[in-house]
Amino acid sequence: MLKDITFGQYFDTKSIVHSLDPRIKILLLILQIVFIFITKNIYALLLAFLFVLLSVIFTKVPIKIYLKNFKAILPIIIFTALINLFYTNEGKELFGFWKLTLTTGGIYKAFYFALRIVLLIAISSVLTYTTTPNDLTDAIERLLSPLKILGLKNAVHTLAMMMTIALRFIPTLVEETQKIMNAQKARGADFENGRLKEKINALIPILIPLLISSVRRAYELAEAMECRCYSVNGDRQRMKILKCSAKDLFAFLFCLIFCLGIAILNYLF
Amino acid sequence: MQPILEVKNLTHTYDESTPFSFDAVNDVSFSVFQGEIIGIIGHTGSGKSTLVQHLNGLIKPSSGKILYNGTDIWEKPKEIKKIRSEIGLVFQYPEYQLFEETVYKDIAFGPKNMGLDGEELDKRIRDICSLLEINNEYLDKSPFDLSGGEKRRIAIAGVMAMNPKVIIFDEPIAGLDPIGRKSVIKMIEDYRKRYNATVIIISHNMEDMAQLADKLLVMNKGKLIKFDTVANVFGDDQTLKSIGLNVPIVTKVFSNLKEKGFPVSKKIFTIEDAVSYLLELKERGEHFA
Amino acid sequence: MIKDSIIEVKNVTFEYSNSEKTKTVIENFSLNIVRGSFTVILGHNGSGKSTLAKLLNGLYKPDSGDVLVDGINTKDEKYELEVKRRVGMVFQNPDNQLLASVVEEDVAFGPENLGLSPQEIRNRVDSSLKAVDMYDFRKNAPHHLSGGQKQRIAIAGIIAMEPECIVLDEPTAMLDPKGRKEIIKTIEKLNKEKNITVILITHFMEEAQNADRVIVMNDGAVYADDTPINVFSDAQMLKNVGLDVPQTTELLLSLKNSGFNVDTKNISIEETADTILKAFHSEGI
Repeated sequence: MLKDITFGQYFDTKSIVHSLDPRIKILLLILQIVFIFITKNIYALLLAFLFVLLSVIFTKVPIKIYLKNFKAILPIIIFTALINLFYTNEGKELFGFWKLTLTTGGIYKAFYFALRIVLLIAISSVLTYTTTPNDLTDAIERLLSPLKILGLKNAVHTLAMMMTIALRFIPTLVEETQKIMNAQKARGADFENGRLKEKINALIPILIPLLISSVRRAYELAEAMECRCYSVNGDRQRMKILKCSAKDLFAFLFCLIFCLGIAILNYLF
Repeated sequence: MQPILEVKNLTHTYDESTPFSFDAVNDVSFSVFQGEIIGIIGHTGSGKSTLVQHLNGLIKPSSGKILYNGTDIWEKPKEIKKIRSEIGLVFQYPEYQLFEETVYKDIAFGPKNMGLDGEELDKRIRDICSLLEINNEYLDKSPFDLSGGEKRRIAIAGVMAMNPKVIIFDEPIAGLDPIGRKSVIKMIEDYRKRYNATVIIISHNMEDMAQLADKLLVMNKGKLIKFDTVANVFGDDQTLKSIGLNVPIVTKVFSNLKEKGFPVSKKIFTIEDAVSYLLELKERGEHFA
Repeated sequence: MIKDSIIEVKNVTFEYSNSEKTKTVIENFSLNIVRGSFTVILGHNGSGKSTLAKLLNGLYKPDSGDVLVDGINTKDEKYELEVKRRVGMVFQNPDNQLLASVVEEDVAFGPENLGLSPQEIRNRVDSSLKAVDMYDFRKNAPHHLSGGQKQRIAIAGIIAMEPECIVLDEPTAMLDPKGRKEIIKTIEKLNKEKNITVILITHFMEEAQNADRVIVMNDGAVYADDTPINVFSDAQMLKNVGLDVPQTTELLLSLKNSGFNVDTKNISIEETADTILKAFHSEGI
């Protein structure tokens, strides 16, 4: 149940996409999202589709895993498609039923918007599947580093540290929740049956121990960090050096060609 | 005689039908009789904890059965709560499950879930506290103001207050200092004596196991390697060594003596045994050097 | 300054206070730790040993008296970080000391805080992981490791700062016997090979066998301070402060009480067996 949370999953297939600089990957993702959003016609969108498909293939992560992703948001895709299907009154009317009419324009729009959502999710997955959460955090911190000049140095750094620690402790807390639930079940607690109010009350024996242990963990972690010479105002160095290489330049050009293509197709049709 | 608890071909597979699937418990069968103290030993990850969570129905077996007084505990899944009150389970570091405002209320949580209330509930709590020597002055305190060892005692009392016939402990003394350890062991012994309860303990402390247990169950990689009397398990130190488990220090001393040509014909695992055995040898005055 | 001592504790008193009461945890406490030595501090919970540990690297500041690390007073704010670098600290719960999701990034945390160059950080991370025998796990996530492995990562994170001294506060309390052995082996190796001063706080007797010195604490004061063998053979003293008597000592004492002529000052299994043999030989059997 709790183990099914797969946010930020990473698949180490050691592809060329994995070896790109995470900062570049984030910037390219933003660029792609913008261009997928500004596609004005199906031709531009199909070009975007081609680009996303190539990116997905380059990651060497099995397509099956990407498809799994869509299962969860299938209702949203269907909902978007249906709305567009029946609320568009363009093109030839195919048939009418009660207050709904199905038009060729509707089919076109339903397909167009559904595909756009699929592409957005797929291209975001390309980033999370090929970049470790740590690299992501690291890259975000460095991308935000220009803010440091504005006197926000500690804010940027603290934010990144919080994300690092959160990522580290998610599995620990999931495990702990499971353990506390089982311990209370052994004392006769019932989490499945009863009315809503009873169910909410049944959560107290889980939430309080969880809260207390998290506070204790936080306190101990803070002491341990202090013992390792951490200070918010300190001048921290980083072990990892992020360097852009020829690969990143290539990825950038590759991406740029497609963006240019989309812009041209938008203009032509 | 019918065993109180009978485990038949129990298997538990984690992540079934995925490439990561593995058997945490693999075809384990054994019987426990009323009033026995069973020790379970094995490495971390040998399947001990998964095994004991099956015994009170917290985990459902992938295959195999658990019989309590001859009846399958999963025969009526709706009544699993009743099974959990008859077969108590004290988790590792149970102090982390305390949540109530007062010690009294926390101990009452289990019995209340069983449907006890009013005077009956109050009597139950007073009884268990007097048996376990938990002073009345503690009952109104917040459990979070107590020391680590005291918290552990309260958490254990919370399970004992349900009056289980079988009580299982997953490493009850882990992380305690010698004083805390002794007081927890005393609680277990007192409870067992009063209610003639059956006790199952997971522990790494071989000396305590030698003192406490009647039988030992040895787990390795999900399999039951040995289930026999303490003497026979510690006597077969080759098996234990082969899976990297310890024997009591006294047993180690006697193995060493044997290697040096000393005539050790008996299995020795407590200090009392050792002293009486050596005295006997001395009195016989046999020449062996 | 006494020659060759890395840590000097001078007449330290430390009080712990909350809204209701003030409790003196450590009172007029003095101690010298010799550079390169291996000291074990024993004591039951609440004897003040954890508080003492936190006083040694300036995490706690004494209410009166001074703690000097290499002659630097831990109260001196200018050297706050330097004191913590010189005296590293490892805690009981390995989970609550690791803060990155990748082993090597966690070990890098200390050196990164010291502001070293990326290359130097890399070197230190690699050599620290090798020193605790965890180099092969450098890319792993901590939550997939065993307790003993996580604790070795925590130790690597400390030695990457190249401390003079490591204080370990019950590092094995939450581990199984295998994990405990790994940790003790690692600590002994660091002491011998890297000449790092070690202060190990524990209540497991067997972990103190190879120490240079054993200090028994009770009620915030030193109750005994001697070699392991002298401390362990004093069964009465250990019982007085609520500590375990090692099984071998207990065995030899029981034999002595039953009329055997044995020397009770032995702790290893080998020595104990030899002592029993000798007793039988001397009886002419």
